[in-house]
Amino acid sequence: MKRSRWLGLAGLILIAPVLADDVTIADASREAFSQPMSGLSETELAAFMRGRTLFRQAWVVSPAQDIAAGLGPLYNRLSCIACHAKNGRGQPPETPADRMQSMLVRLSVPGVGPHGGPNPHPAYGDQFNEEGVPGVPGEGRVNLRWDEKVVVLADGTKVSLRQPRLVFTELAYGPLDGALTSPRIAQPVYGSGLLDAVSESTLFALVAETKPDGVKGRVNWVWNAAKGGIALGRLGWKANMPDLRQQSAGAMIGDLGITSPLFPKQNCTPAQTACQQAALGPQPELSTAQLNDLVAYQAHLAVPARRDTESPAVKAGEARFAQMGCAVCHRPTLHTDAKAADPLLAGREIHPYSDLLLHDMGTGLSDGRPDFMASGQEWRTPPLWGIGLAGKINGKVFFLHDGRARNYEEAILWHGGEARVARDRFAKLGASDRMALQAFLDSL
Amino acid sequence: MQSNSHDAGRRRFLTGLAGVTGALAFGKAYAAPRPVVVMTSYQGEVMDRFEAAFERAHPEYRLNILWRMPHDALPWLEKPEQGGVDVYWAASPRNFERLKKEGAWRKLGVDSAGLTDKIGKNRLADADGYFRATEMAGYGFAVNTSRLAKLGLPVPADWNDLTAPKLAGLIALPIPSRVGFAPVMVDIVLQAYGWEKGWALWSEIAGLSVLVDRGSTFVTDEIASGRAAVGLSIDFFVASAIANGSPIRFVYPGHGGINPGQIAITAGAPNPDGAQAFAAFVLSEAGQRLLADPDIRKLPVRPAVYAGLPADYPRPFVAAERGAYDYDESVGLNRLTLLGQVFDAMLIRRHGELVGLWQRLHTAEAAGKDMSAVRRELCTPPLTELEAADPALMRLYRDKVEGATTAPGDVEARWNALCDSHIARAMQGLAEAVA
Ligand code: HEC
Ligand code: HEC
Repeated sequence: MKRSRWLGLAGLILIAPVLADDVTIADASREAFSQPMSGLSETELAAFMRGRTLFRQAWVVSPAQDIAAGLGPLYNRLSCIACHAKNGRGQPPETPADRMQSMLVRLSVPGVGPHGGPNPHPAYGDQFNEEGVPGVPGEGRVNLRWDEKVVVLADGTKVSLRQPRLVFTELAYGPLDGALTSPRIAQPVYGSGLLDAVSESTLFALVAETKPDGVKGRVNWVWNAAKGGIALGRLGWKANMPDLRQQSAGAMIGDLGITSPLFPKQNCTPAQTACQQAALGPQPELSTAQLNDLVAYQAHLAVPARRDTESPAVKAGEARFAQMGCAVCHRPTLHTDAKAADPLLAGREIHPYSDLLLHDMGTGLSDGRPDFMASGQEWRTPPLWGIGLAGKINGKVFFLHDGRARNYEEAILWHGGEARVARDRFAKLGASDRMALQAFLDSL
Repeated sequence: MQSNSHDAGRRRFLTGLAGVTGALAFGKAYAAPRPVVVMTSYQGEVMDRFEAAFERAHPEYRLNILWRMPHDALPWLEKPEQGGVDVYWAASPRNFERLKKEGAWRKLGVDSAGLTDKIGKNRLADADGYFRATEMAGYGFAVNTSRLAKLGLPVPADWNDLTAPKLAGLIALPIPSRVGFAPVMVDIVLQAYGWEKGWALWSEIAGLSVLVDRGSTFVTDEIASGRAAVGLSIDFFVASAIANGSPIRFVYPGHGGINPGQIAITAGAPNPDGAQAFAAFVLSEAGQRLLADPDIRKLPVRPAVYAGLPADYPRPFVAAERGAYDYDESVGLNRLTLLGQVFDAMLIRRHGELVGLWQRLHTAEAAGKDMSAVRRELCTPPLTELEAADPALMRLYRDKVEGATTAPGDVEARWNALCDSHIARAMQGLAEAVA
């Protein structure tokens, strides 16, 4: 009975074609996340190149004779690429003494903030900025400590799982007592334009579908700053951002302290007087044209094509992935909106291995911090495309929103809540099935 | 400014021990690391790796990076007490020399055991001990070998190999006045072949080139895609692309050049001990080994480190023994900006027409015509080496650093006019030759 239902799930998987097309590239080198889509016109390619320069650009303290002036007053890193190394994912610090080089901590206090979003901490705002320009104290230091626990799989294999604890020191603007925190590693940015182009109705249809294993899934409703209204969330670990443009302008202000037409105000709280008084250059620091280029760059980064799809282990792993119910959330195939603004991205079949929906993942993964409609336990299914190249491109590789998982196995074993049934099926697999699943994930 | 943020550091330390619910303060007595302020223009990968490794080696310090292009770094470092900066670390030999004259540095005082002071004709250490090279980058050619093979051309071994007419439209040339590393390249050729022959080579190379501007495509894009077959570049741009899987090769030409990245400690350093610890770390075996990271790929200055690097890693100290680094940067130092402007006047300003002229010239020569008179017009720079060495003119340009924009003054107007007349005569000569 149970068995047959498992097999039934396999029907959900449409076998994903692997051929390179205009938006997918057959490249397995360390530059695989950095290639333009092949279907770009010359004008689009030029914008892509300019956007790439902005994405890699180290921003400098004002005043300066530089196209990239205006860093801070408070910030995390100097460039987008610092966190999204090679357009890939970030990682948590290796030791408790190391600084966060490619992750950040979101902050809030209980209650609802402006536009239904997180309620910013009165002194620290909605993100912990460790750095300040000269004369402006950075907000302090945050480090990660790990607590480990061991889980035992059905075949007796022991897996050690670790969970982070935040340690704040050198707090410059008073205590952080009672703050809600959410440590997050940087996400890969390739393919984000395609995710952006998935229509609302597609997502509503996914929500409405009856799904096995107690899986539900819902959309996040967030604030669209450009339209001044509520919009559906697509990007970020909690689908907390409506689109690539706002995500980019949001990263500019939140992570680098760069103002833009979308977010023209510096990110200083009333308690941060030095920040408010810091000398500023011409505003906004990022022009509309630059924001357009930055968005064009990310939207037009090609997605790496799958590899080794014919290997027996990969095929076996793909079957397990479907049978265990992973594909219920990690959807192999979605379609982008036929009417999406960017014709290159419109009306495409894509293979992100995500439904872009929020799922309750249980208390183990909870950050206890609501983000618009998403509760502490809810997270957006992260796309898995390109995940098999992450190790090669980003060196040591870490999974899940805070980088706690050191390999696929740990990532899967942390799945709870709506993914509990799938997780338990995984824990029952024998070693060879687990290796097959790994081979499949490596082929993405 | 720095003294401010230093106080702030202490204040942060005092207020920072307040715990956070659900978080944990360090159990042991916790001393906030002291900031070391490093001004730099290195690419992010360099800073990220060194930041992580230095802070791990010296938990008592915390790097505070102030990123600035050389032309923006200079006025900052000319502020009283060097604007609170502890260390300047960058590839801008002109800034290091100039700030030395202005008394901005203190003696570096890092143990020099295992370090050498010269490579070829290039000094790696300031004679007075104020700064030292920490890494080198080499000039040369990024090549797409399969593209060259299709053209039936060998891989170029030196600059004069870049004048093959088949390369028309297939050389990627960074604009010297716009791309920081490129002026030195101009000078390498002038020193290696002499002023006249050197400019002649540049004219012909430029005539076969597509231009690459700052902030546009990278030379590596042009080469990897096969849009260009040869790109004039600096090794680490290309080397990291190669290490990361790009189908490109990098060739160090017979007449090469080294661009040193240097380090100095400021006279007014608020944290001189931390500054010294950082400089010593960068020059240490561990620091020098980091340079070989595939995302950095620079050339270490500590010769012993090469023993541990892969066999295909460039060996500049070996090449120097063959005379590959006889380029004398001290000659170039004062005239680099000037050369960039001359290059603009002669070869960039009317680049489109120049390309057409060289094309027609090559066609005529292939048909057996004597085009030496037209060549002369296209190859003559608007001033002689002697004129270029005029101290008044040098002064006008010396202090402009990479990236600074210069308003075309009278001098440049004169160059433009001279170059225009050369072009006009070349056009006429060509018209007569084909007539
Ligand atoms: C301090 C590290 C850091 C920096 C710097 C940074 N990011 Fe991010 N980025 C993140 C994190 C963390 C997330 C996940 C955010 C969340 O869940 O709220 C993210 C998410 C994203 C996403 C969403 C990807 C997806 O699939 O949902 C995009 C796009 C993005 N960043 C672009 C940028 C751009 C553009 C810049 C430079 C302006 C930038 N980032 C700078 C850490 C960083
Ligand atoms: C109920 C929906 C759901 C199901 C079922 C599910 N996942 Fe996930 N998966 C998620 C969510 C949500 C996350 C992100 C959680 C987080 O970051 O805290 C995730 C994260 C992951 C990651 C890490 C991705 C990254 O970028 O860090 C991997 C790998 C993964 N899942 C594999 C699987 C496999 C294999 C299965 C089947 C055994 C599975 N998942 C079943 C929703 C699901």
